[in-house]
Amino acid sequence: MRAAALAVGLVLAVSPPAGAFSARDMLGREVELAAPPARIVSLVPSVTEALYALGAEARLVGVTDFCDYPPAARGKPSVGGMINPNLEAIVALQPDLVIATTEGNREETFAQLKRLGIPTYLVAAHRVRDVTDLIARLGALTGSQHAAGPLLARFERRIAAVAQAVAPLPRPRVLYVLWPEPLIVPGREALVTELIRLAGGESVTAGEADAYPRYSLESAVAKAPEVILLANHGANTGPIDEPKWRRLTSLPAVRAGRLHRVEGNLVHRYGPRVVDGLEQLARAIHPEAFP
Amino acid sequence: MTPLVEFRAVGFAYPGAGRSRARPFRLTSVSFAIEPGEIVGVIGPNSSGKTTLIRLLTRVLEPVEGEIALEGKRLQNWGRAELARRVAVVPQGVPREFPFTVEELVLMGRYPHAPGRYFENPADVSAARAAMDATGVRHLASQALASLGGGETQRAVIARALAQEPRLLVLDEPTAHLDLRYQAETAALLRRLNRERGVTILLVSHDLNLAAEVSDRLLLLAEGRLVRLGTPEEVLEESTLTAVFGCEVTVEKSPTTHRPHVQLVWPDGRR
Amino acid sequence: MSPQGRLALTVGGLAALLVAVAAAALFLGSAAISPRGVIGAVAGRAAAESVESVVILSIRLPRIAVAALAGGALAVAGVAFQALTRNPLAEPSVLGISGGAAFGVVIGQSLGLGLTVVEAVGLTGFAFAGALLAAAAVYLIAAAGRGVIQIQTLLLAGVIVGIFSASAITVIISLLDFNRLGGVIHWLLGNVAPIPPGALGLFAILLGAGFGLVLRHARELNLLALGEESAQQLGLNADRLKLTIFTGAALLTASVVAFAGPIGFVGLVVPHMLRMLLGPDNRLLVPTSLAGGAIVLLVADTVARSIVAPAELSVGVITSFCGAPFFVYLLRTRYRGLM
Repeated sequence: MRAAALAVGLVLAVSPPAGAFSARDMLGREVELAAPPARIVSLVPSVTEALYALGAEARLVGVTDFCDYPPAARGKPSVGGMINPNLEAIVALQPDLVIATTEGNREETFAQLKRLGIPTYLVAAHRVRDVTDLIARLGALTGSQHAAGPLLARFERRIAAVAQAVAPLPRPRVLYVLWPEPLIVPGREALVTELIRLAGGESVTAGEADAYPRYSLESAVAKAPEVILLANHGANTGPIDEPKWRRLTSLPAVRAGRLHRVEGNLVHRYGPRVVDGLEQLARAIHPEAFP
Repeated sequence: MTPLVEFRAVGFAYPGAGRSRARPFRLTSVSFAIEPGEIVGVIGPNSSGKTTLIRLLTRVLEPVEGEIALEGKRLQNWGRAELARRVAVVPQGVPREFPFTVEELVLMGRYPHAPGRYFENPADVSAARAAMDATGVRHLASQALASLGGGETQRAVIARALAQEPRLLVLDEPTAHLDLRYQAETAALLRRLNRERGVTILLVSHDLNLAAEVSDRLLLLAEGRLVRLGTPEEVLEESTLTAVFGCEVTVEKSPTTHRPHVQLVWPDGRR
Repeated sequence: MSPQGRLALTVGGLAALLVAVAAAALFLGSAAISPRGVIGAVAGRAAAESVESVVILSIRLPRIAVAALAGGALAVAGVAFQALTRNPLAEPSVLGISGGAAFGVVIGQSLGLGLTVVEAVGLTGFAFAGALLAAAAVYLIAAAGRGVIQIQTLLLAGVIVGIFSASAITVIISLLDFNRLGGVIHWLLGNVAPIPPGALGLFAILLGAGFGLVLRHARELNLLALGEESAQQLGLNADRLKLTIFTGAALLTASVVAFAGPIGFVGLVVPHMLRMLLGPDNRLLVPTSLAGGAIVLLVADTVARSIVAPAELSVGVITSFCGAPFFVYLLRTRYRGLM
C-alpha cells in the first residue's frame, strides 16, 4: 500500500508543465525532456531488469554487456561495458534518455553525454526503500505506473512475509563474503546489509564505512560469525573458495556447517529481484522457518 | 703588439676545496702571455692544473683570483659565441656512440658564427669543407665517426675546431692513445697550420718530447704553479724536470731537429 | 639534396600521410555511417542533431585530433629526452612525470568529486597538477645542490619519482572503494577520449608551446652529443639549454598525460624509427617526430576502438602490446648493423 501511494505521488510530482517533460533524478538533478522517453539506453543492469519487470522493454533500445537478466535483455543492442561504454554506439541508437548510476559508471561518461546533448538520468540505491523508489520512478518515466503499483505491492507483501517469519527467531551473526581474495564485505552503505537484517540476521560488518570495504580475515574470524554467506557472481567468474573457509574450524558457522552460497546478482543489484534475493538470504539464515 | 691571451695572477680552486687539505688550490698565481702566431706547450705532471688552465681559458670555469684577458679584453666581457669564434678547443676524440658523420661533426664547429641559424648556410658548408681539406679528411666526409680509427678521428676533431675559424687553437692531449705514425702526422699538421694559416696554438701534453718538438715556448706547471716559462731549451733542464716529475731524466739534443729530447733514466729496481 | 629540402620533403610526406590516416579514421567506428554520410557531416551538410553530425563532428573528429596531438607530443618529448640524456632508452614515462599525473588522478578519483567539479576542472586538472609536481620534483633532485641539471642524475631522479608515485598509487588503490576502482584502472591504461573544443584548444596551445621550445633548440641538441663541456666551448649555454629542453619536454608529457592518461612506447619507438630512416640530426627528428608520432598513435587508437567493437580497448594496451616486440626488433637490427 505504501509503495502504491509512493508511485501515485511520484506521478503527480512528475506531471509535465506546459510542453516539456522534466523529471528530477535520484541525485536531485533536473532532467529536461521534450516528451516522455521512448528510446532509453540503460547503463545499469538493475535498471534493465526493472524496465523488463515493468513491461517497458519496448522503450529500451540499448543495454550494457552486463545486462544479462532477463535473458531477453541479451538480445538488445549492447553499447559496451559499464566503465567504458562506446559513445558512438550510444549516439547511433539515438536515445532520448540514458539511465546511469554513480556506482559503476564513470563521471567522465556523464560529462561526455552532457556535451553530446543526451539527457542522463542518474540513479543510486543503498536501501530497500531506494529500490522501490527507483522502480516507482522508472514506472513514472516510462508511463507504466499501472504495472509499477501492483509490482511494488507484491514486493511489500513478500517482504512482510519474510519479516513476519523471522521476527520471533534469534538473530545470528552473519558474515557476507562479496569477494574472498582480497576479502571484501558489505558495509553500512551496502544494500545487502539491510537485506540481511530483514532476513533475520545481523551482518558482522554492518558498522564498516562505505559500501564494499576491504576487511582483514583476522577481524572476520574475531567476529565469530554463526552463518557465512559466500557470494556467487555468475557461472563464469572466479572460485568461491569454500574450502578456505571450511578450514577455519574456530568459527561457529563452520562447526555448525552453516556455509551457504548466495547468488550475488540478486542482492547486489537493486532491481526487482531484490525480493528474490531477500528470500534466498532468509532461507540460508533461517532454514528452519522456510522449509 | 697586444698579446693574444694574458693570464694575470690567476688562481682557481674547486668549491669546498679550501677546507680539505687533500684538495689544494688547483692553480695559484699563474701569470703568462701568449703572443699571436706562436705555439705554446703546457707541460707538467698529472693534477698540475693543465686541464684546469684550458677550462679557465674557455670559460667553462671562472677564476677565483686574478683575471684572464683575450685580445686585451677581459674574458668575462666576451660573449660565449664571440669567444668560440676566437678560441677553439680540440678535445681527445669524441664521446662513445657519437652518431654523426665527419661532415656533420665539422659543421658543428660553425655554430658560434650564427647560433640562431637552424640549418648551416653555403658559407658554413664551404668553411667546413676547407677545414676538412686542411686536415686531410675531406674524403671521409660522409663516413660515420664511429667507423674511423684513432688518427682519422683526431684529424676530424681538429677539422671541427678549424671550422670555427679561430685565432687560437687549443689542443688537450692531442696524441694520447695515438699510434706513432699519427703522433708524427699531428705534429706536422700543427706546424703547417701555424705556419700557413697563422693559427696560434696552445698545446697541452704529457708527452714532453712532442711539446719540445712543436712548441716555440713551454709552460711548465707543477702543483698549480707556473714553474718555468721559456724556450724548450730553457725549460727542459734535467734538475728542473727531476724536481717536478720526481724521477731521474737526461736531456740531450736531438740529432735531427736540435731540439731537447728528454730521456727517462730507467731504474734497475734493485733499491 | 640540401637539408632544408630533405626536411621539407619528409615533413611534407608525413603530413600528407597523417591527413590520409585521419581521413580514413573518420570512416571507421561502431556507429555504422555510410561514406556519403561521413562526407556530408564533414561538409556541414548533415542536420545539426543527426547521428552523423554528432558522431562525426563531436566524437570521431575530436578523438582523432586528440590522438594525433598526443602522439606527436609524446614523440617529440621522446626525441628531446633522448638527446638531453644521451640515452636511447629515455622515454617520457621514464622521467616520472606520468607517474605524478597518475597520482593526481587517483587522488581526484578517490576524493569522489561531485559531478559539477568533474565537469569543470575534470580529472585533467588533477592530472596536470600531479605531472607538474612530479616534474618539479625530478628537477629538484637532478639539480640537487648545484642549481643546474646534472644529466647523469636526471634519469635516476625520474626513476625515483616514478617509483614513489607508483607506490603511492598502489596504497591508494588498495584502500579505494570497490566501485571507484574500475574508473581508476581504466584511466591508468591510457585512453584517447573526445574532448570539447575549448579543452582541445587548450591542449593544442600547450603542445604548441612545448614543441616550440624543443624545435628552437634542435640544432643545439645535436651539439650536446659532443659532451656538455665541448658544447659549452662551442658557445652553447648548456645550463640554460638543459632547463629549456626539460621544461619543454615536461610540458609536452604533462599535457598528454593530463588529457589522455599514461601512454607508453610512442615516445620511445617513434624517434628510433625515424632515426633509422633519417639519421641522428635532431633538426630533422623533431619536426618529423611530431607528424610520425601523430600517425602512430592515431593508428593505434583507431585499432583500439575498432578491433573488438562495440567494446573498446584502451589505446595504452595497443601501444604496449605492439611497442615492446617492435622495440626488440629495432634493437636487433640496430645492433646487428653496428657489429
